[in-house]
Amino acid sequence: MTETLIEVSAVSKTYANGVVALRDVSLAVRKGEVVCIVGPSGSGKSTLLRTLNALEPISSGEVRVLGQAVHDPRTDLNRLRAQVGMVFQSFNLFPHRTVLENLMLAPRIVRRTEAAAARERAMRLLGKVGLADKRDQHPAQLSGGQQQRVAIARALAMDPAILLFDEPTSALDPEKVNEVLDVMKGLAAEGMTMCVVTHEMGFARAVAHRVVFMEAGSIAHVDAPERFFGPQAPPRLREFLGQVLHG
Amino acid sequence: MSAAEARSRRWAWVALYLAIVMLLAAGVYAAGQRVDYSWHWERVPGYVLSFDGEELRAPFDGFVTLGADGRSLRLSALRTAETAQITGFDRLVVGEGELVFEGDVLAIQAGITPGPLAWGLWLTLKLSALSLLFALVIGVVAGLGRVAANPAARALAATYVEAIRGTPLLVQIFIFYFFVGTVLDLSAFTAGVAALAVFTGAYVAEIVRAGIEAVPRGQMEAARSLGLSYLQAMRHVILPQAFKKSLPALAGQFINLIKDSSLVSVMALTDLTKAGREVVSSTFSPFEVWFTVAAMYLLLTGALSLWVRRLERRLAHD
Repeated sequence: MTETLIEVSAVSKTYANGVVALRDVSLAVRKGEVVCIVGPSGSGKSTLLRTLNALEPISSGEVRVLGQAVHDPRTDLNRLRAQVGMVFQSFNLFPHRTVLENLMLAPRIVRRTEAAAARERAMRLLGKVGLADKRDQHPAQLSGGQQQRVAIARALAMDPAILLFDEPTSALDPEKVNEVLDVMKGLAAEGMTMCVVTHEMGFARAVAHRVVFMEAGSIAHVDAPERFFGPQAPPRLREFLGQVLHG
Repeated sequence: MSAAEARSRRWAWVALYLAIVMLLAAGVYAAGQRVDYSWHWERVPGYVLSFDGEELRAPFDGFVTLGADGRSLRLSALRTAETAQITGFDRLVVGEGELVFEGDVLAIQAGITPGPLAWGLWLTLKLSALSLLFALVIGVVAGLGRVAANPAARALAATYVEAIRGTPLLVQIFIFYFFVGTVLDLSAFTAGVAALAVFTGAYVAEIVRAGIEAVPRGQMEAARSLGLSYLQAMRHVILPQAFKKSLPALAGQFINLIKDSSLVSVMALTDLTKAGREVVSSTFSPFEVWFTVAAMYLLLTGALSLWVRRLERRLAHD
């Protein structure tokens, strides 16, 4: 039994205007596991992901990541977040810094890494995502796919125990999707613990250990991909998959 | 339209612009001739830069002994054994054996010295530069307060901004000079810098707030998700981008600051405007002097906008 890195217990979230975003959600992710979260828009999948590093506060329940209660005010959130990388739909690279500086910023400031060591690690990660030659460019000079690969390398620069992906390919041109998914597949193969909110069912089927189907703020179904995408899936899920795959 | 045609059309508009400017200048000139006023432009340059030379004055009462070469003189004190040797002058004002008193002019040293208007310009420059520096610090702190999550910080910053923007600068200057200056025992210059910095800081705060709000939310989220604290994220990620976005507005505010600094002439500070008033009262040439003073302000503000434009171009990489 490998250790549990993420444990979401009975989490609910209600906005001030009464809208319920999450309804009694529980989920555990073990070390080395890749969990894909799918569902219609507005089902709460991004909200759930963002509660894992407290970008989104919760109303009740508990989220434990790496053994720490994320939403406990006594938790050192900065320390915890440094160990949980996040990749966003809109990349969110720092436009005033070069690619290399984007990767070096957090290690230099948060970890106080020596410039030479941070640069060496950043170059290694840029090589890994295939963008070593772009190190002195600014993000605006890169394509979407390249920006997202830099964003993944930036998250990896902090040597995180967990990576969270919030619809990493949704803002990309169709022909740029695969270059990003390939990097993510490589990470999964290395045993990285990953939570991926995505619409890429092919990726979920090929890479995920478990797939979560969310609807109206609740987890409606969780299963291994072969059964999740198979004929034994519940009717509502099959309806959703049918819309996504053939719509 | 061909390129040559476009160019010639452009030149036609430039010519029209020049014609209108010249027409306006001629109008001003004609108006100047019509009024009962004798123009004496020749009086003004001496108040900007003086070619009269520097006056060497007697340090104490005493008798003058001229040197043999006419290039030096010795002053022997009247009541003590003290003597002073004075050299390096170009024109003598006193004669051999003359009795002079402390502060009397002994000789003139040729050279160009700044006139009262140049000194006024210098004070205005010092006043504006120092106020700009402090206004930037105050503005960034208050701007951060405006966007803070903490209600106390937000209310404090909002109160500051509203109080300052809701009262005239001239009234604030009086309050700083008479009340704050008295309570804290400030010099007129310090009180002037403080008044201008506090006033401009309120406007800078609003510019900084707008700049921060113009940076996409995702930037803060990305920085925080990497483990940066709120202040680290502000300093390294948000503020550099906000600063770039608000540079044009900041430049406008700092040009205002230079112009607003003319109001401190109500305190005992001889800035460019006060110097202008003094020169008017000694030359009786108000028209020429105020035109000159305006041109000197334009020199400062023009230099500032030029510098900002260059800075903008340098930051325009992304």
